[in-house]
Amino acid sequence: MSFPPAIPREFWGHNFDSPVMLASGTAGFGEELLDLQCLSGVGAVVSKAVTFEPRAGNPPPRLLETPFGLLNSIGLANPGVYHVLKHILPVAAGLPCPLLINVAGESVDEFADVVRVLEGSSAHMGYEINVSCPNVAEGGAAFGVDPQVVLRVAQGVSRVTDRPFSVKLTPNGGDMVQSAEAAVEGGASAITVCNTFLGMHINWQDGKSVIKRKVAGYTSPALLPLVVAKVWQVSNAVSVPVISSGGVSRGDDVLQLLAAGAQMVQVGTRLMRRPFAAAELIDEMKKLTGE
Amino acid sequence: MSVIRDFDCVVKHSEQVLPGVVKIVFDCAGIASVALPGQFVQIEPSPGAFPVTRRPITINRLTENGFELLFDVIGPGTELMARMKPGDEVRILGPLGCGWTVEPGSSWLLIGGGLGAAGFQFLMDTVDSTTVLIGASDSDRVIPLGACHVVTEDGSAGGRGLVTALISEELLAGADSIAVCGPVAMMEAVWSTIPEKYRDKVQISTESRMGCGWGVCDGCSIPVSGGGYKKCCKEGPVFSGIEIDWKRWKEAGL
Repeated sequence: MSFPPAIPREFWGHNFDSPVMLASGTAGFGEELLDLQCLSGVGAVVSKAVTFEPRAGNPPPRLLETPFGLLNSIGLANPGVYHVLKHILPVAAGLPCPLLINVAGESVDEFADVVRVLEGSSAHMGYEINVSCPNVAEGGAAFGVDPQVVLRVAQGVSRVTDRPFSVKLTPNGGDMVQSAEAAVEGGASAITVCNTFLGMHINWQDGKSVIKRKVAGYTSPALLPLVVAKVWQVSNAVSVPVISSGGVSRGDDVLQLLAAGAQMVQVGTRLMRRPFAAAELIDEMKKLTGE
Repeated sequence: MSVIRDFDCVVKHSEQVLPGVVKIVFDCAGIASVALPGQFVQIEPSPGAFPVTRRPITINRLTENGFELLFDVIGPGTELMARMKPGDEVRILGPLGCGWTVEPGSSWLLIGGGLGAAGFQFLMDTVDSTTVLIGASDSDRVIPLGACHVVTEDGSAGGRGLVTALISEELLAGADSIAVCGPVAMMEAVWSTIPEKYRDKVQISTESRMGCGWGVCDGCSIPVSGGGYKKCCKEGPVFSGIEIDWKRWKEAGL
């Protein structure tokens, strides 16, 4: 690749207007953003996680801001795959950009089960498979930490869809490069690097965590160097495109992640501050590169 | 939901109205022209990267060309906001959420706890008839409103006692709508005091730790009857009292 990196316009054989994706959990299914008219500069939307059964989500408080980031414990709240198929995807079909559906599960089979149902819609281009959730059926460790499990999940999804899918890996335990290689062997068309970092806030007064589930997912602009390192490692190891996720708050950050080997760059927590973050990032990038 | 807009608002005036309580008046016709009582805004405490989320603040009242916010200085975000000076440009998203449901010509009973009464002024300016009951820990927590009945826990302003002591059958029966806003424990005490036959008149203004403020992140959930959750930012912040699952809400310790 050449430096400074060119702003990519193509992904999975399609023309994308922008390399900026909205990260799972920060954009609903995109349909609300359609109403709000803040999809300018958005290359693709990744939906919130969809599971087979509806999930009410975790008890509040679900968020805790720390001095330099945000802890979240949403609990994969979603109305279940059949509701998504019947009531949400018909609306999301009106998005001006591609939609990837983030899929989560509690067992290896659940990922494929969810995808099989979603195959009944043409609203989305592909999937993002969230292997960071706990494998409840096999002991509770995240699917993503075990390359053999990642392989089985990816193979299961490959069997039920011809659409491209990315596997979103966890930074919490395991070897991300090995898990990425297993995902590609199982048929993944991209790797998303990566999910949130495990974080916790403890009240020293009583030793309790404000978040009821004790540990939570941590996001922050301060994670940028950690994500850059992981993107660089994974993109050097696999042949499929890498989608970065995490640490982005400026156009400069997007360019750095592209230079590290990412082909698409997700923005998440920044949207909490700036609903129009994608357009702002693109403007900043254009100023920086003179493009 | 309609289009949301992010405005560069100009600070017109800022002052400390009570110890640790700051009022800021912003010029912003774009927000003021469409805001309704009980709605809130998401304000950027600083132009830098931190804090990573905005601060959701209820609109206290409308002004000639903008609106007024009244807030407790309780952490790094509100400390930055307390330093805002006239002429500063501040990014503010809004108005957001669903405010009080106001029927034309209705008479209101407003029951506020401490800084929870911030926001009542907008409702008082909008509806024809209001009776206002305010309870606070002490006189330093009684925000300036028009005519209202005040009690404090230490007796330093108004009578001594809790706001629930001011609630009477006569007031409840005479009001078309009842608005409650304050700390969760205070609102729960008020809710328990109100006999069942008046409860369908009650509207509760909630608050929650918030991410986006516009319905996408699912972070600000309020437990509702039947076991699920509703979004404070989009389906609230004002809910009917009977919608709320009080037990689970109290457990949340928000």
